[in-house]
Amino acid sequence: MALLSPYSKVPELNTATVLLVENEEELQNKLANAIVQHEKDFNVNVRLAKKLPLPVENKEARPRIDLIVFIVSLLSERSLQSAESSLSHLHSDCFLGKVCFLVTDARCGSHTQERLVSVRKLAASHHCPVICAEHRTADGVSAAALRLLNILQVSAGMTPMSTTALYLSTLTRCSLTSDLQEDYLQ
Amino acid sequence: MDEQARSVLNRVIRRIPNKNIKNLLSKWNCLSADQLQALDYTKPKRMIVEHIIDCCESSNLNLKHITNLEMIYHLDNPDQGTWYACQLTDAQDDAVCVELTQFKEQFKAHLHGVIRHISIKMKKHEDDAIWIRIAWGDNFSKPNHLKPTYVVHHLHTSYVFISNLMAKHKIFLCQALVVATRHGSIKDGHLSTRSLTAMRDLLLRRYQQVFPSAQSKIQQERDSPPLHPCIGKEHSDYEEMRHQMACEAFGHGPTPKLETAVYKLETRYRGNGNLTVSDREEFFRGVVRFSSSSLLESLRNCVASGMAEGPVTPLLSAITRRGRNSFVITDKGPGVSSQASAPRA
Repeated sequence: MALLSPYSKVPELNTATVLLVENEEELQNKLANAIVQHEKDFNVNVRLAKKLPLPVENKEARPRIDLIVFIVSLLSERSLQSAESSLSHLHSDCFLGKVCFLVTDARCGSHTQERLVSVRKLAASHHCPVICAEHRTADGVSAAALRLLNILQVSAGMTPMSTTALYLSTLTRCSLTSDLQEDYLQ
Repeated sequence: MDEQARSVLNRVIRRIPNKNIKNLLSKWNCLSADQLQALDYTKPKRMIVEHIIDCCESSNLNLKHITNLEMIYHLDNPDQGTWYACQLTDAQDDAVCVELTQFKEQFKAHLHGVIRHISIKMKKHEDDAIWIRIAWGDNFSKPNHLKPTYVVHHLHTSYVFISNLMAKHKIFLCQALVVATRHGSIKDGHLSTRSLTAMRDLLLRRYQQVFPSAQSKIQQERDSPPLHPCIGKEHSDYEEMRHQMACEAFGHGPTPKLETAVYKLETRYRGNGNLTVSDREEFFRGVVRFSSSSLLESLRNCVASGMAEGPVTPLLSAITRRGRNSFVITDKGPGVSSQASAPRA
């Protein structure tokens, strides 16, 4: 099984690539459009995928991926399961600041709180940050796009002097609160 | 006008919005232009009804005219009440040459022969559907026009749509239909919905179907503008395949607006673990009900967007393939019921 590795390819000049992984493909398209239309001083490529592993046929055409975003809709259990199973197809180097989770639909539905806890546990065990986003309004989508762009800028090495992906990730990674930590350890 | 005619009229007028009353009355063509002009549609329903009753009495209209009005109303608003589908089987050789007049005569003759008091009215609708209104009575009581049964049949098709039929009258109606359409027998179609249009479209295949073939891939008309050059899709082939699969199962374009689908499970619990459940002799019963304002559209979207994993289970595609929305799933049954797993969507 080919793992997705962040350092197996040479980066392109002044270009960053973000991979959005979402089982439902609902927010993915909106977010991709918001990201590419946002003004920024480097080129951004967006790759959309339903789940990992990525198809082998596109391997040559695919650029180096600098940030992998798992979009989890809290309305559906499958969304979470799919993200969880996709994680095993990543090389361990990715977890040094190149993976993050984006959760949506936290406000509606009945089991969202339990699922949010599961996502947080998942993220904490992989040392990744969790971002909450709203996808029903255009403002929410553009705010989420902006946050992802900021993370992408660091993880693609566009800000070499100020910070690095690993350093940012140690600051932003999801940590469990003490009560959650307890059940997690049990 | 007797009491029954008044109540029928009252019920028809009460159901429609004030602004549509004028249209209905002019279609009915029983009141004169002056009488129509004199009606004030802004008044409360009760006063309008009284006014119409006065008009009817002065024009000597009777129950027959009023039932005609009710039929016109139902022809215009077919999606009311609960409709059931029945399927005619074992067509005889001359079933294809049944004419409207012949059908009418035989149907009426048969029912009049078995029930003394019955009132039957037939109308041919624009789309070649025959609408039949039957008010049932029995040997000692007059036909009850407040609970009429409506039957819709398209000649030379094997489906009949029935609404508001009492169980005790079912046998008479079925016999009359079988005789008049020259078929061998009639059976339950296992399809019921509030919308006659949806039922007709589904059973008479009046929606855009997609057939599996290698050459003709349907064009996906996407709402979204073409992709930005910087966006790449990793699973685009898979997405197309899913879309094709969804359209093959549930049709392309607007689908019939079915509202529910019911699956009754009569299966035994299988699997190890809980012995108290799996050891039992009797069935493990359960009902799975899907409901939506447009069920087929929802299911298609579920499959096309990848929320449900393909291929589409035969249990769900049977809704369109076999034109049913009520299924019984048994352990060792024929047909659809052979697969005992629960639907995955």
